[in-house]
Amino acid sequence: MSLLVLLNSGSTINEGRLAKGGDKLTPEYAEECAVCDINPADFQALGRPDRVRVVAADGVRSVAVRAREDGSVPPGQVFMPRAIWANVVVDPETFSTGSPLYKGAPVTIEPTEDEVLSAGEITKMMMRRG
Amino acid sequence: MVIKNVICPVCGASCDDIQVELDGNRLTVKNACKMGNAKFQELVSSHRIREPMMTKDGQQRSVSWVEAIERSAQILAEAKRPLLFMGSETSCEAMEVGLHLGEFLGAAVDSNSTVCHGPTAMGIQEAGRVGATAGQSKIRGDLAVYWGSNPLESMPRHMSRYAIYPRGHWTRRGRFDRTVITVDPRRSLTAEDSDLHVQLKPNSDYELLSALLTLLHGRRPHHSVEEVTGVPISVMEEMLEMMKGCNFGTIYVGLGIASSYGKHRNAELALNLVKELNGHTKFVIGALRGHCNVAGFNQMASYLYGYPFALDFARGYPRYNPGEYSAVDLLREKDVDAALILSADVVSHFPAVCAERLAEIPTVCIDIAPCPTTLVSEVVLPGVIDAMECDGTFYRLDDVPVYFRPFASPPFSFTGSNQDTLRQIFDRVRELR
Repeated sequence: MSLLVLLNSGSTINEGRLAKGGDKLTPEYAEECAVCDINPADFQALGRPDRVRVVAADGVRSVAVRAREDGSVPPGQVFMPRAIWANVVVDPETFSTGSPLYKGAPVTIEPTEDEVLSAGEITKMMMRRG
Repeated sequence: MVIKNVICPVCGASCDDIQVELDGNRLTVKNACKMGNAKFQELVSSHRIREPMMTKDGQQRSVSWVEAIERSAQILAEAKRPLLFMGSETSCEAMEVGLHLGEFLGAAVDSNSTVCHGPTAMGIQEAGRVGATAGQSKIRGDLAVYWGSNPLESMPRHMSRYAIYPRGHWTRRGRFDRTVITVDPRRSLTAEDSDLHVQLKPNSDYELLSALLTLLHGRRPHHSVEEVTGVPISVMEEMLEMMKGCNFGTIYVGLGIASSYGKHRNAELALNLVKELNGHTKFVIGALRGHCNVAGFNQMASYLYGYPFALDFARGYPRYNPGEYSAVDLLREKDVDAALILSADVVSHFPAVCAERLAEIPTVCIDIAPCPTTLVSEVVLPGVIDAMECDGTFYRLDDVPVYFRPFASPPFSFTGSNQDTLRQIFDRVRELR
């Protein structure tokens, strides 16, 4: 089971607190930011998973994060805190403005058993690809 | 000793009422929000980067300051097309040196302001802006529209210091005399605290703004706009009546406008709506600028070189073309072969393909704490915390310059500020080229 949804990434106060406090490589930061907030109906349709894999529209990049039921998110949309996990799947197209599509990019979410990687592990993955 | 009226170097609000008391390794902070307090605690944190590091044989090792500056200068001097990225939690004075270094090198120079409100700046170039200082909105305003912004989480003191809760000229009872409208696809904390939440579908800001303009012109928009935006025309009418009926209204646009489909065209239309609302009442618009001194880069680059961001000096004179000379596009297209990143965690906050390019090329970064960008950088130079350890200037979210003074010293002697660090690199680059 997978769902095509629109990704909205944005600020959360605790992401801000941890980022400004220099704690981006800590487990607490991963706990706060490696999360995908899903509408209750969509969450139910996915089988109430513990974790989901969020796949970018190009099908190439994806990231496993914790799934969280959240009534503030409308059906067909998901919210992720702005952080390295969301930016794995954020569309790099800027439409000639210099600013990528941090909000409103189509992604696919599907339940997964994969472990959630830390910020350090994702960075190492990027270093290997780079 | 308690030090008062310290400027907070975290978000665009640049709060100037912070009180700190430094007692050895214990720092007590008053008036700051959660984010502000966390940043002030960096002054005494154990993870602060206190010595330069370089990657040698795949391992980051401590090196001398001279060696780190030498290698940084070498990387930039040898590059065919370097990128200088000026982050936002540093002073205009540091950005000025960075821009001049970019001109000398023929580099591309960009900033956080591009991925923040770059599209909004482009919208302003198209339409012009009816603006006001935060103080004017605070004293005169009786209606605020948070469009695509969630200040309770991104700029926690905006509502209490500048916009909603303070008593003003027509708002003696503070919040009770003000109207708050939030336009957001999500039921955010700010939306919950609003009088009207207009819950539009993602990527439909342009259509909603168009419909509001149509209604303002006395016409009824085509009914299909309800399907496209998810907002009933009756709600649009209610919103517009609230806006027309106020004494002084302010739209605070966030990244909901700049970061979704439509980009600068969304901003342009919002600016045009505000211009036309001035036929009915006084209305202004401003950007909620999430990072401390993003407005500063736009100001510095504009006054020094004529363009607000995405500058390219490859031909020896400044050129401007967002989408080509902007950092995300340059990295995505692998158009740069070296980078200097100042006070920004680009690896965390740029799309992955850009971060991968940074990991591929020699990168120098100046930062205060370990983060993904310091992990991929060949040279890591310890950053100085502006507004705490050195003086300088920030531009607030409303483009008002704020001068700040230090109340502590950097924990090292080899540099006195990020401006000083960039100057030292620049001096060595001059000798190498």
